[in-house]
Amino acid sequence: MSDAVTMKMTLPKIPDIELVALEGLDRLARHLGIADAKIAEARIIVTEAIVNALEHSATEAPEVAVEYTMTPTELSIHVRDNGRGFAPEEVEEPDIRSKLGTPNKRGWGLKLMKSMSDDFHIVSDGSGTTITIRKLLR
Amino acid sequence: MEQPFSLTSEVRDGTLIIATSGYVNNVGGEAIAAEFARHFAGGVRRVVINLGGSKVVNSVGMSFLIEIIERLQEAGGKLVFTNLDPAVEKMLSIMGLFQFAGKAPTVDGALGEFAASGGTP
Repeated sequence: MSDAVTMKMTLPKIPDIELVALEGLDRLARHLGIADAKIAEARIIVTEAIVNALEHSATEAPEVAVEYTMTPTELSIHVRDNGRGFAPEEVEEPDIRSKLGTPNKRGWGLKLMKSMSDDFHIVSDGSGTTITIRKLLR
Repeated sequence: MEQPFSLTSEVRDGTLIIATSGYVNNVGGEAIAAEFARHFAGGVRRVVINLGGSKVVNSVGMSFLIEIIERLQEAGGKLVFTNLDPAVEKMLSIMGLFQFAGKAPTVDGALGEFAASGGTP
């Protein structure tokens, strides 16, 4: 892990703030000589994680803490919000067929993060939710 | 940094072609849906969405496209996505959008499929 570089940031809830996190991800990848295509899926994962976290963060002083650790072959992502938490096991997996004909077309974040990650963990309690993701950079 | 969202549109041989540029978030998704609705009201039932200029999208933005698929399905029309970045294509595949929408490498490819099928690829 000697090649590992770490970046930490705390993001307030302002429009498109997730793009700042993506800029950081791009910079780390460039520093390590990782091709843009190899982090393309990671960019979607990070976007979903931050958009999801900010949506469920506290109503007063909402913020999300993001931490990356990147090596030439692997990316670790931690995203923590300061919301009231939820029961991840009670979240129904979305399905396109059940979305058609209903007003709620949203709710894809968790499914996308799980499906695009090589390892996915979520811990949630009354003080917030932490998502830990491992993504191999193939 | 990803550019702000913008779109262009044209109607070619009765097919609406929407090309996006920049981040497709909720605002971008809503703008695509509004552009579609304007042409749908005028009778357009074949739609191509070229996402080649959008390397970053989120699922909130993409959820607006489900609404487009729904309205086209009800009217016997069809949506085809083109110029997809492989990661975006994987995202749409996970969401199941290709069960109800097509995909083609290019806009011309999508138009060719529409023409060959007499309307719906």
